[in-house]
Amino acid sequence: MTLRHAERKWAALAGLVFVLALLPAFVHSDYLLSLFDTAGIYAIVVMGLGILLGFAGQLSLAQAAFLGIGAYTSGWLTTHLGWSAWPSMGAAMALSAMVGLAVGYPCLRLSGHYLALATIGFGIITQLVLINWKSVTNGSDGMGNIPAPQIGSFVFDSYARYYYIVLVAVLACAYVAWRIKTTRVGRALEAIRENEIAARATGIDATRYKIIAFVLAGAYAGLAGSLLAHMTKFISPDSYSFDQSVVFLVMLIVGGSASISGAILGAVLLWFLPEVLRPLKTSYIMVYGAAVVAMIVFMPRGLVGLLETLRSRFVRRRPDAA
Amino acid sequence: MSSADDVAAAASGLLEVRGLVKRFGGVTAVNALNMTVRAGDVHALIGPNGSGKTTTLNVISALYRADGGSIRFDGGELAGLPAHAIARLGVARTFQNIRLFGDLSVVENVMIGRHVRTRVGFIGALLPGGATAREERETREKAHELLRFVGLEPVAGLPARSLPYGDQRRVEIARALASEPRLLLLDEPAAGMNPAETDTLVALLRSIRERGTTLLLIEHDMNLVMSVSDRITVLNFGQHIAEGPPAEIARNPDVITAYLGGTLDAA
Amino acid sequence: MHFDPVANMQLLVSGLAFGSIYALVALGFVLIYNAVGVVNFAQGEFVMFPSYIAVTFLLPAITVFGTVVHWQLPIVGVYLLVLVLMVGFGLLFNRIAYHPLRDRGWMPVVISTIGVSIFLRNAAQMIWGSQPIVMPSLFAVDTISVGPLHIRPQDLLIIGVTAVLIAFQFFLFERTTLGKQMRATAQDRATARLVGVRVGRIVAITFVYSALLGTISGLLVAPLFTVTKEMGALIALKAFAASIVGGFGSIPGAIVGGLAIGVIETFGGFYISSAYVDAIAFIILISVLLVRPQGLFGERVAEKA
Repeated sequence: MTLRHAERKWAALAGLVFVLALLPAFVHSDYLLSLFDTAGIYAIVVMGLGILLGFAGQLSLAQAAFLGIGAYTSGWLTTHLGWSAWPSMGAAMALSAMVGLAVGYPCLRLSGHYLALATIGFGIITQLVLINWKSVTNGSDGMGNIPAPQIGSFVFDSYARYYYIVLVAVLACAYVAWRIKTTRVGRALEAIRENEIAARATGIDATRYKIIAFVLAGAYAGLAGSLLAHMTKFISPDSYSFDQSVVFLVMLIVGGSASISGAILGAVLLWFLPEVLRPLKTSYIMVYGAAVVAMIVFMPRGLVGLLETLRSRFVRRRPDAA
Repeated sequence: MSSADDVAAAASGLLEVRGLVKRFGGVTAVNALNMTVRAGDVHALIGPNGSGKTTTLNVISALYRADGGSIRFDGGELAGLPAHAIARLGVARTFQNIRLFGDLSVVENVMIGRHVRTRVGFIGALLPGGATAREERETREKAHELLRFVGLEPVAGLPARSLPYGDQRRVEIARALASEPRLLLLDEPAAGMNPAETDTLVALLRSIRERGTTLLLIEHDMNLVMSVSDRITVLNFGQHIAEGPPAEIARNPDVITAYLGGTLDAA
Repeated sequence: MHFDPVANMQLLVSGLAFGSIYALVALGFVLIYNAVGVVNFAQGEFVMFPSYIAVTFLLPAITVFGTVVHWQLPIVGVYLLVLVLMVGFGLLFNRIAYHPLRDRGWMPVVISTIGVSIFLRNAAQMIWGSQPIVMPSLFAVDTISVGPLHIRPQDLLIIGVTAVLIAFQFFLFERTTLGKQMRATAQDRATARLVGVRVGRIVAITFVYSALLGTISGLLVAPLFTVTKEMGALIALKAFAASIVGGFGSIPGAIVGGLAIGVIETFGGFYISSAYVDAIAFIILISVLLVRPQGLFGERVAEKA
């Protein structure tokens, strides 16, 4: 019975991946494909935040800074040192993870609002460094000519080709998050979120696990930043602002913070929402802000919670019909 | 209490608290406390409100740092260790104001209790199958077994916060037992329970003792204390005023006059 | 760099002026935090939005919704009008962004205040466009000479108004029933309710009061810069930092933290690096959090197990 349920879930997932893999065959607009690529990249950032906030309950408003660190690591390694894209991606991920460790460790003594503000401070300092450390970052002018990844002579230089790199990365990141959530490490993180004192008394080294969450959030954002850099080929500091971190947070909360599918759904929907609202011209971000308030008031557990509620209503009705 | 008794108790003490001091600002909550908990006993820690019972438990489990004295557990010093290390050594606890992982299911709460007895880390999590799958399955089975033991198997899938109060206390006990502790600290396990629930609890405490787990409990319900305890330590104003078997404590004139006012006839 | 007492004196006045603004906004944070236990991430918009309303009525010509209007009302009248409008704004904010979420913990409220902040910033852009707008000052001259010092009268006004407001607040909290009810609500809502305080109303008043503090900060600071949709955000973040440096929840802490950050930032920007001036507040913040997490005036509260 439960096995059949699990099998059905896997089949649905496989079907979804199949449809997603075929998407570039039906979507030919470069613009639309670039939106999909970016949506996937943002989904990775938001999943990382989901591990930190959704699983471990630690609020960070520096996700955009880690995205920036990843992007600039990739940009600098490829344009200054002539590295190719793939190792740069690994290095970007590793450096962001290390910065996550460096930021996470001192911040562990803080919680709630204090942690939020310390991470805001870190984010603002990072952006100022990106703007002012001109010898490395080229300042506000940004950094260009970042190469696209390639395998042999096959260059991932179109949005359609890049889409597959993003898809694989999203699936890999979702897999890692899912494995963590459903095993001992994830339970330890959730225990810390639910009640840190009880978690410690149960033998969980809360400090260690919070650091793991910070490092993972950093690594996810670093990978995403690198993916963004190799896709757009040009990066500049204004994309890695506090406001962008807020957008990632809102994506997570709207999607459903403790759920991996919620993180992905929130990122994708809120990334496309401005596109849907584009006919409203300049007022669309305003409507976006209002939508965020409405969603948090009317959908307490995010989109995923809403979908679950709808499904349970539907499922409860079915036995009567059968 | 005879000094021969003291020596015998100290010789087989699983937990030996000596000269323990805990201060909050200018207030000394625990003052030079001595206490010996013998292996295999149900040991009760009683005293009026504010006498330092919960503080003592919190210092033993390192939620508070001691200001002086020693806490030896099975020969090793606990004072100075972090809370998670103490849990790892085999000291588990429950809380007076229940601290469950409320949004998680009952069985997940108990599975988290297995933390110190399991190993799969970040790398293991990424490699499904093999040792990871086996450990995961064993953790789940063990958790269900404990839920059967405390009588909560039917609600294993419900969120912990949705359970009635008495059941939540039993989830906490199951979570604590999941770490296979040698010493289980219970902070007012019967608080808020009705008489029927208390009876179930007494039976449960007895069967935990039969499994070989030593119990140190704080409790206000004197019927319960007198019926399950092997030994009792009485605290007043953070100080130890008596220690001994229930019958002896019930007759102890210091205890009766200083604190209990002659209400210890329940046993 | 040689030591110049005149320059330092001028920096000190200017630093105290900025610090006063941070202190006022920090007070707004602290009052709301004490009353309802959440940080209002739209506090910066409590500074920005009234500044826009003010310039709308002050300037000889301004474009609103694409139409040029010519109100140019007297400055004191405009100040009063803006304050009255912001009372309504504070009430509305409480009703929409806080009240529906009051039983759901701090995170949803934080998100909803962030949503309001996004809404207001972009509403401002839609209404008044994206060009920075200059707000007229009460004063005809930019600087006045006091002995060898050249001082902006606006700086002195800021420091003076802040001092008066702080005095008013002490009077309010120590001497009036309303202030005592606000304090009781901040300390323990359940008990306050038991002794007959209408907590819901006190919370609404707190939001209004906080909005008015923001409004006054905006009216005071806008003539020194320009009115833009971003003007409130950085002020609010630094004020938030100031309130934590001072000890979150502490009113003297917010004032001292605000003044300290204003002064250190001004000197740091002059002597160390003007490029990193906006980082200074956060470097102070992070250092304080690491060394003394409870802040200068905060008390370490041991969590009860």
